[in-house]
Amino acid sequence: MSLFPQVGRIQPKLRIAWWALTISLCLGVLLHLFPFYYMMALSFTPAAETLSPTPVFFPRQPTAAAWRLVWVMAARDMTLGFSERAATLLKYPFYVYFGNSLFMTLMTLALSLPITSLAAYANSKLLRGRSARWTFLFFIGTMMIPGVVTLIPSFLLTRNFPFPLPVAPNIPGTDRQFPFIRIWDTPWAVIIPGVFNAFNFLMFKGFFDTIPDSIIQAARVDGGSEFNIFRRIVFPMSVPVFAVCAWLQFGGVWESYLWPLLTIQDAHKQPVTVVIARLVQEFTRSSVTGPNTGVIDNPQLRKMLEAGLSWNGLMVLGLLQTFPIFVMFIICREYLMKGIRIRGLR
Amino acid sequence: MQEPLLAGESIGTAAPPRELSRRSRIERILFVLPAFLFHLSWGWYPVIVAFYLSFTNSRLMKPPDFVGWDNYNRLWHDPLVAKAFQVTFTYAALSIVLTFVMPILVAILLMEMPKHVMRWMMLLWFLPLSGIASTILWRYMYNTRYGLLQYVFTHLGFPEQRFLNDARLVLFWLIFPGILFFGPGLIYMAALQSIPTSYYEAAEIEGASFWRKIWTISLPRLRPIIVMMLTFAIIGGLQEFSWPQIMTSPTGEPGGAARTVVMFIYQPLWGMMRLGDATALAVMLFVVIMVITIVYRTIFKEDPDV
Repeated sequence: MSLFPQVGRIQPKLRIAWWALTISLCLGVLLHLFPFYYMMALSFTPAAETLSPTPVFFPRQPTAAAWRLVWVMAARDMTLGFSERAATLLKYPFYVYFGNSLFMTLMTLALSLPITSLAAYANSKLLRGRSARWTFLFFIGTMMIPGVVTLIPSFLLTRNFPFPLPVAPNIPGTDRQFPFIRIWDTPWAVIIPGVFNAFNFLMFKGFFDTIPDSIIQAARVDGGSEFNIFRRIVFPMSVPVFAVCAWLQFGGVWESYLWPLLTIQDAHKQPVTVVIARLVQEFTRSSVTGPNTGVIDNPQLRKMLEAGLSWNGLMVLGLLQTFPIFVMFIICREYLMKGIRIRGLR
Repeated sequence: MQEPLLAGESIGTAAPPRELSRRSRIERILFVLPAFLFHLSWGWYPVIVAFYLSFTNSRLMKPPDFVGWDNYNRLWHDPLVAKAFQVTFTYAALSIVLTFVMPILVAILLMEMPKHVMRWMMLLWFLPLSGIASTILWRYMYNTRYGLLQYVFTHLGFPEQRFLNDARLVLFWLIFPGILFFGPGLIYMAALQSIPTSYYEAAEIEGASFWRKIWTISLPRLRPIIVMMLTFAIIGGLQEFSWPQIMTSPTGEPGGAARTVVMFIYQPLWGMMRLGDATALAVMLFVVIMVITIVYRTIFKEDPDV
């Protein structure tokens, strides 16, 4: 209540202004929540109704058919009355892709948070003077360079690390190739390049810089390794920063599309984003969103529609894809709020 | 052994800590080592390779030959590339103009709510919807036959729109969903919470009005964060790929009207595996971003007391 005048009577004009503000903010929230509601509602409408020109805000005959269809796609359960065709819309059961995404995301977090935070801590508290400045520049320097520049070299490196060439060269003078590492076409192609995150490094360092040195010095006087100091003292203080970084990175990896699209060919290892995007693209291929709508002559599309998949099924898939982000958001927000309350507002 | 420090005393960051033992020196190195190795191999090394590759005619299956400035020349004169750059600039500019200001405004206004309302608002307002789910939803709503937006337009008396197929307006339609995205607002709110209310009270005693208070207290406090977020928005906006790609694929219907530079790198160049060209284009984009960022930084100089 700091922008509105505090002193003096609350005149009717101010009251009205305040209520106008509150109401418009509430309306804004509703507008923001509308997509969620709409997706939920659509997921319960029968397929034919989703294709009708009048929008459906509440299905006339709600049906869980889409959810059952997705379950069939997920578990290849044939007892629910859908055809064989429905089960094979995706090459593998849905939980495979979900598991891939989950593995990639959690593994990246498990590797990245410790490594990045320790490096930031060292840069902030353990290194001094020139070495601190140079390591800082080393870690931050590439932030200015857009990701698209390193896209292709990174792609080549995932094939024959450390040689960005199609084939690893031979050891000069012999017939044997240099040893190389190939992480292409594995989930590690997504995990490994994401382990060091410059943005998280910046956030950690910014935070560690605000911790007074006296605390660390006192801990050193008490003995114990630097690692223990970090573990026992600094880490519990930094929960909010970890929460924010974990949240951002979770979202980043879970939603990554271009990089897994390039580096993972085997359908069995692909994450959910690639799979759903491909499904949506196939579904809309026959200009269902184009000027000649209504002409459903694309065999692939017809196959999908016959299998029972329509927009309602796609909405279900979309919701499933959002769900972990949702959960992570709530978890991280809790830690964030808790941490801010403990340390007090900055 | 140093004498114990009194509360509040700090050794200061300039003096070298005398009690860092040899063991601690090893630990220092160990802390930094994994990050150093990862960043060297996947951060700096690809950058160097990229600059090298842009001067070659690398294909995936055969080792590259050095061709000098060929790639750059060809790209400079290619009208499709010019079109891609134009699309990219328009997209980034539109995106920033339409979607950057709202979260700031919302964050400032949300601070006026009572405590628990604010907590709920903070949860609900910034609830994230995943990118893919958004694409599904918005492709559905933009459908020219049964989409929600078409319904709204026709019933309000406007002519039927072609939405994503309309080459002139497609960029606007691509950016429009972003107006609902208030994610960065959380960061602004966190910063706003650190402003003591006494500032506002003092301003009010001086007779400041509602908007003047925002202009002189809230915004200057947010200024470093706004500058930083704007930098990210510019750099990110110029590299946009996923959203326009998924929304206009697979046919890319507006015929290149929604093809940003990164999409251009991905579709034609990548499809034909002309890695040298692709990298050269990426480097060109980088130079452009660099120039824009430098110009932007000199206009918005950092506050000296931040």
